[in-house]
Amino acid sequence: MKRSGYTNLFVLLMAIIIGDVNGCIFHPHGPMDFAGGTQVVLADYQGSDPTGAPPEVAGAGLVARGEYLARAADCIGCHTTPLGKQFAGGLAFKLPVGTLYSTNITPDKETGIGEWTDNEFVTAMHDGVGRNGTRLYPAFPYSAYTLLTRNDVLAIKAYLFSLKPVHAMPPENDMSFPFNQRYLMRFWNALYNPAQRYQPNIDRAPTWNRGAYLTEALGHCGECHTPRTLLQGLDANKKFEGAMIEGWKAYNMTSDQRSGIGNWSDEQLENYLSTGHAEGRSTAAGPMSLVLNNSLRFLTKDDIRAMAEYLKTVPPLHNQADLAVAQKRVSATPSEARARSPRGPSPNDEDLGLRVFEGACASCHDWDGSGVHSPYADLTGNRTVNDPSGVNMTQVILQGASLQTRQGEMFMPAFGTGYSNTEISAVVNYVTGLFGVSPSTMTPDQVAEQRKKK
Amino acid sequence: MIARDEASVWRRQPDGEETDMLTLNINGKDCEVNVPEDMPLLWVLRDVLGMTGTKFGCGIAQCGVCTVHVDGQPIRSCIMPVVAVRGKKIMTIEAVGQTPTGANVQKAWLDLEVVQCGYCQSGQIMCAAALLAATPHPNDADIDAAMAGTICRCGTYTRIRAAIKRATQPS
Repeated sequence: MKRSGYTNLFVLLMAIIIGDVNGCIFHPHGPMDFAGGTQVVLADYQGSDPTGAPPEVAGAGLVARGEYLARAADCIGCHTTPLGKQFAGGLAFKLPVGTLYSTNITPDKETGIGEWTDNEFVTAMHDGVGRNGTRLYPAFPYSAYTLLTRNDVLAIKAYLFSLKPVHAMPPENDMSFPFNQRYLMRFWNALYNPAQRYQPNIDRAPTWNRGAYLTEALGHCGECHTPRTLLQGLDANKKFEGAMIEGWKAYNMTSDQRSGIGNWSDEQLENYLSTGHAEGRSTAAGPMSLVLNNSLRFLTKDDIRAMAEYLKTVPPLHNQADLAVAQKRVSATPSEARARSPRGPSPNDEDLGLRVFEGACASCHDWDGSGVHSPYADLTGNRTVNDPSGVNMTQVILQGASLQTRQGEMFMPAFGTGYSNTEISAVVNYVTGLFGVSPSTMTPDQVAEQRKKK
Repeated sequence: MIARDEASVWRRQPDGEETDMLTLNINGKDCEVNVPEDMPLLWVLRDVLGMTGTKFGCGIAQCGVCTVHVDGQPIRSCIMPVVAVRGKKIMTIEAVGQTPTGANVQKAWLDLEVVQCGYCQSGQIMCAAALLAATPHPNDADIDAAMAGTICRCGTYTRIRAAIKRATQPS
C-alpha cells in the first residue's frame, strides 16, 4: 500500500483540520464506551481494585509486580528483535509511510532509559511524549497505556530499571515527509489518545472491570485486532473486528457467533488465552503465538478468566466473507480422505495438494486432522482451516509456528524454503477443502506475495 | 530480577531440569525412567534405555526414521513428549518382528533386499507394519498415504512398495 507524496500531504492537511476541529468539539472514543453504564474515576470506585498486579504477586515487591505488569503489557514483544538482547529495541515496524524502530528500554544511560525520571516515563506512557518533549509515534501503544494508573506505570519502570543495562542504539527511523515531523502527532493524539486513566464501570462486575483493564490498558489487544482508519488510529466503530498484521489475519474477536468468539465456551476462551490452544477451536500462530509466549501464558487464572469475561461482552461484528466453522471430524482413513478430495481452483491442485499433504502434513496432523503427537495439531473446528482466504494457513506453512507450553515447546516446522509457491498454494487449498467448510482459492502468485510480508 | 520462589507463585514456565519417575510400557514390558516430562520419546529410547534400533533423523517429524508404534499407531518419536505416552503400549523396531504382521514385513524386506544404506529402514518397516495391521490389503494409494512421509535418500521406494505387497501374500 504505497501512497504518493501528494496523498501524504492531503492526509496531513486533513489531520490538521480534523485535529483542530476535534480538539474543540469531539473527544476521543473510550475503548470501554460500548458497555454503557456509568464510568467513575478509580478513587470513587467501591468494588475491588481492577488495576495493579493480582493478589498472587501483590505482596512480592515492586519489581515483581512490575514484571507481571510488563508481561501483561507485552513490552518485550516490540522492544526485542528475534535474535537480540531482551528489551534492547531495534525491531522494525514497516508502515505505509516509512519504517520505525523500537527503542532500547533497558536502563542503559546513553542508549536506553537509564536517565529517565519517573515523570518522564509516565509522560511517555500516558501522553506519548518522550524526554525533552519529543513526540512519540503511536506504534508505541500509549493510547492504551494512557489508561494505566501511575502506580502501575512506575512498577513497570522499576522492573525495567532492575534489568541489566544493554548498550545498543536502534537504527534511525526512516519516515517519509510529512510523517517525519513528530509534532504532527499532537493532532493524532487529539483524535485518538483518550489521555485519561482507566475508569471502572459501576454497572459491571469487578471481574469485568479487571478484564477491561487487562485487555485495554495492558494487553492493548485492539492494536492488532481492530482495523485502523486512514490516519492509522483504531476505528472505534470496528472494535475487535479483525485486521491484517504482518501478513497474518488477526481474527475477529468480537462476540459474533460466526466471525468471532461468540460460540466459544468460557473454558475454550480461557484455554486459548492461557495456553494458545482451545480444543475444537484454534491454536495460536504467527504474531499471536508471540503474545502467548511473551505475555499471556504468565497471567494468573483469575486474570485470564476476567479477560474472557470482558471479551465476551464486546458487541458482535460480522465479516461478510466468513463462513460458519466446520466442527466435524473428517473420515479417518486415507482412502476415504482421498475419495473426498476437494476440488481446488486448478485441476492440478487436487493431486498436488494431496501429495504434499501425505508427504509433509499427515504424519503429524493425521488423515482425520486430529493431530498425532499433540492436541495442538488438531485441525477440527480451527478458524485457520475454515478461513476461505487461506491467508493464515499460507503463513503458518511458510513460517511454521512455536508455542511455549507447560509440556514444553509445541511447534510446527516452517515449510517455506522446502516447497514452491505452487506446492504451497495447492496444499493450502487442499487442506482448507478437506478440513474446512470450503476450499480456499490461494494462487502461487498470492503465496509469493505472502512470502514478502513479515 | 525477582527471586525464584516469589516468581514461582504465578510463573508457568516449564522447568526443564525437573525430572519425574515415569513408567513406560515398551515392547510388552514395563520399565521405569527418570526423565523430564517433556523429553522426546526418542531420546528416552536411545539415550536412556540404549535401544538404538530407532534412529534420529530430522528431529522435527519430517523424515519418519524415528517412527515407533503407540497403541498400534505410527508416531514420530522425536517430537513426542514422553509424558504423553505414559500408560500406552509402545512398540519399537526391536520387537515388531514378534508380531505376525511385523514378521511378514521383515521377511519381505529380506526377500526383496529392500535395504540400501539402511538408516531409514527401521522407520520404513514400522510404518509398513502399522499400515498392514490396519489395512491388510492396501492399494497403491493406501501405500502412498501411509509411506510418503517417510523419506529414503537412497531411493528404495520402489522396492519398499514391492515388499509391502509381498508381505500381504501368504508365504
